[in-house]
Amino acid sequence: MSLDNCCTSPGTLAMASFTMQKWCGLYDWDTALKEGTIFKELNLPIFFADKGSSNLNTNSPVSDTAQQEREKLMSKISAVSFAINDLTLYLDTHPDCPDGTPLFYQLSKERMDLLAEYADKYNPLTQLSMVTANLNDNNFAWADGPMPWEGGCV
Amino acid sequence: MWAYEKRLQFPVKIKKTCPKTAQLIISQYGGPDGELSASMRYLAQRYTMPVKKVGGLLTDIGTEEINHMEIICAMVYQLTRDLTPEDAKTAGFDAYYIDHTKALWPQAAAGIPFTSIEFQSKGDPFADLFEDLAAEQKARTVYDNLLRVIEDPDVRTPLKFLRAREIVHFQRFSEALEMTKNQLGQNNFYYFNAEFDRNHYKPEEHC
Repeated sequence: MSLDNCCTSPGTLAMASFTMQKWCGLYDWDTALKEGTIFKELNLPIFFADKGSSNLNTNSPVSDTAQQEREKLMSKISAVSFAINDLTLYLDTHPDCPDGTPLFYQLSKERMDLLAEYADKYNPLTQLSMVTANLNDNNFAWADGPMPWEGGCV
Repeated sequence: MWAYEKRLQFPVKIKKTCPKTAQLIISQYGGPDGELSASMRYLAQRYTMPVKKVGGLLTDIGTEEINHMEIICAMVYQLTRDLTPEDAKTAGFDAYYIDHTKALWPQAAAGIPFTSIEFQSKGDPFADLFEDLAAEQKARTVYDNLLRVIEDPDVRTPLKFLRAREIVHFQRFSEALEMTKNQLGQNNFYYFNAEFDRNHYKPEEHC
């Protein structure tokens, strides 16, 4: 299906017409997670949005460097994974995009490595990362680590 | 199938107990325009969609809505985790406490239990895509309303993220509508129902 053909005539009665998004400027992945989209053009906040927000990583005291390292790696995983989420929805409706497709592969590879690193240093977040991190196959580590909804230790 | 990943799509770290806030945002768990309703709507509609790529989009957005449900649940949980018997008397949360203590249960802010009556899976691509477009706008309005009345930055930050996602999903569903129109390509979009009238439309011919 050619995307160029997707915008049907805006003059059609009894049917809505929308604009297909074109590839546009992207945020860096940390900003994208904070804003809720990788696409600058799709970031449309309400006028009172900035009344207050918290830093995404305000959890641990500055003195706890081990915990800070752990949170830093988790933040990287969150940011890269979210970029893939948002990019996937874009590619669902723009499968032939020459910019988005290579980026999808690049980010997915990065994510796989980050998940393996996290499984190796702390605990696995996915079952596949138990294998890519070469964990001890006598230890079922899937239950290790905090549950995601606890908030404190991620 | 789905595979669990042991992290939230967006981090939730709420320090301050607030049953009143929990009582409000629980609507995005089990309310009429909540995340559970959203995921069930899209994941129900996808099977009969005439355009395969639109079925794929419904799967991916429906999956993301499950992530959002988990974020909302984590927020309700953290807002009530350290609830004292005195906190439990908070107006608005007291009735919930009697029935569910501190457990999670899908309901609207006004106490109405989660129900599939709140969404539709109609079996017509245009009816369903317009339902989806409207759903994203309604959920965005709920997040606007929550952001107007909630001040705790730890709560506002994930709510702003979730609001932004509604707008992105709206754009994607609008593109899905364009793809559907393009594939069914004709002047009268209502001449047949592509999900039912097989004499007029065979999905297998468009794989």
